[in-house]
Amino acid sequence: MNIDQLVRDSLREQAAEQPTPAPGLADRVLTVRRRRRTRALAAAAAATAAMVTIAMAVPLMNTGKDDTRLAHVSAHPEQTPPRDMIAAGDLALAAYYTWETDAHGAPVRAYRILDPKTGTYVKTSKWSRVAVAPGLRTAAVLERNLPARRIGLLDLRTGEVERWIPVDRGVASVEFSPDGSKLVATTYGRNPDLRYKKAKYDYDGDGEKDWTLGLDAPGQSSRTGFYILDVASGEGSWSEVAGADQLGVRQDFAFNHDGKLVQSGLFSAPYRQYYDFAGQQVAVPANEAYASWRNESGLSPDGKFAGGGFLRGTRPVGQSRSKLLDPYTGKQVTTVRGAELLAWVDNKHLIAWDFTPDVKSPSLRLVLVTIGSDEVAPLSGITKGLDGAAGHWTPIFAER
Amino acid sequence: MDAEAQENFRDFVESRSSALLKTAVLLSGGDRHAGEDLLQNALIKAAGRWHRIEEPEAYVRQILYRQQVSRWRLKWPRRELSVPEPRENPTRHTTDDEPGAADLRIVIRAALARLTARQRTVLVLRYFEDLPEADVAHLLGCSIGTVRSTTHRSLARLRELAPELAALGPADAEQQPSHDYSPVEVRP
Repeated sequence: MNIDQLVRDSLREQAAEQPTPAPGLADRVLTVRRRRRTRALAAAAAATAAMVTIAMAVPLMNTGKDDTRLAHVSAHPEQTPPRDMIAAGDLALAAYYTWETDAHGAPVRAYRILDPKTGTYVKTSKWSRVAVAPGLRTAAVLERNLPARRIGLLDLRTGEVERWIPVDRGVASVEFSPDGSKLVATTYGRNPDLRYKKAKYDYDGDGEKDWTLGLDAPGQSSRTGFYILDVASGEGSWSEVAGADQLGVRQDFAFNHDGKLVQSGLFSAPYRQYYDFAGQQVAVPANEAYASWRNESGLSPDGKFAGGGFLRGTRPVGQSRSKLLDPYTGKQVTTVRGAELLAWVDNKHLIAWDFTPDVKSPSLRLVLVTIGSDEVAPLSGITKGLDGAAGHWTPIFAER
Repeated sequence: MDAEAQENFRDFVESRSSALLKTAVLLSGGDRHAGEDLLQNALIKAAGRWHRIEEPEAYVRQILYRQQVSRWRLKWPRRELSVPEPRENPTRHTTDDEPGAADLRIVIRAALARLTARQRTVLVLRYFEDLPEADVAHLLGCSIGTVRSTTHRSLARLRELAPELAALGPADAEQQPSHDYSPVEVRP
């Protein structure tokens, strides 16, 4: 063999390994170009820098000794809730929701889902639940009347449901596996979001027992089990899972870190139970012993850290930090900026909520934080209020 | 850019970005993020002249090649890339495959990442895109002699960086004497 043949083979092999570009590349390019032109015009007109939006998909350079350069950060620190795509590295804010109240007084989610063609978030009131698959091309959706008898696979580029997966038992929650090939759908006998009359309490003293949300009414769950469904074929199986006395009215199943098991929370110890796909209880995987529903970020992609909770004593605004734990021992290994870790971008970066510098009325904004650096890059505008308040929105992330 | 041109641009990017990204990553020495940056910058330039471009793919490719070898690109900090480690004794192999071919491809890949951008670009154009020397010269805006000598020196540099390649026969380009001594970039 000659060296030129080897160079040729090596280059072709390397080229063949490259995945396709993330969807929405053309729109990102057009957006960056538009912004650059805006910026040039604004500069020419001696406009203030504040008028120029700084949302650009540009490489973020870091100054640390390790190379933690992160490509393609798309930030919109002036937007809350966001209108244009927020993303860092391979992770995008795929959707977010706010709460509305339906005709029955039940809280329903109003979603804004990323349209990958335009790079903007589009409001929809059609769905009660939305889960976005990695790749930002497909979302699994449930209609507003829960429990639903079919799961829609929504093509995010067209906004149309491409396919319906019918289910014999009603489902009220749906989540993708980490690789996007499977769905776990939680089955319920009745709508778990309806308000529920608490059996014993009359807090307001009007002589009647009070209405409350299902979440804090243990023992009243109508949950029956879960489906594991293959996304491509729509085929799958249902498994019964008993134990309603330990559950909130809504207690959904989700995949674990490697997508081989499902798990759900419990009201009492051990507070979380893992199951195989046949619905049999299994032990907690050793590297998820210290994961918790409170810490949404879970394990880092390399499995080295589990995202932990807020580090006490760091409340002074602009200083808040969260813990990073050894996933096997739960011991704090280090800390990172941010008040609530939401999702891992890669092994060194996370997206987090962070308190804004206003001490009198602390609010949150999405930020990009880096392990080993105190720098925080704002990704969104400042929410109007904390969790649960009007003006607050809940992010949903997916790989792009 | 009007709505129709934007739609046209989107169609082009959707249909060709996968192939363009492959080239961009190879030009960047296997660095996926640098390749994405390179492609995105090339597309931004193309979008600015969309109305005047007759052959969009050829235009974007030319920007990719020229951008990569321009001095501006060299100002960007270089990242350490992780490349697979070949086994020991890569030339000794026991499968029915070409002796040690897979290992040698890994060795080559690591060595390619250490070439200068210009050296690598010439090899990508000659051996991945399979372009004749005259076309490479036209694309890079240099003489055929420069293409020939750069190819020659790039292959020689690969042999220096990867002594495992000693057993391989010379390429055609290495058999031709190089009479062109145009300056080429040298990275310390």
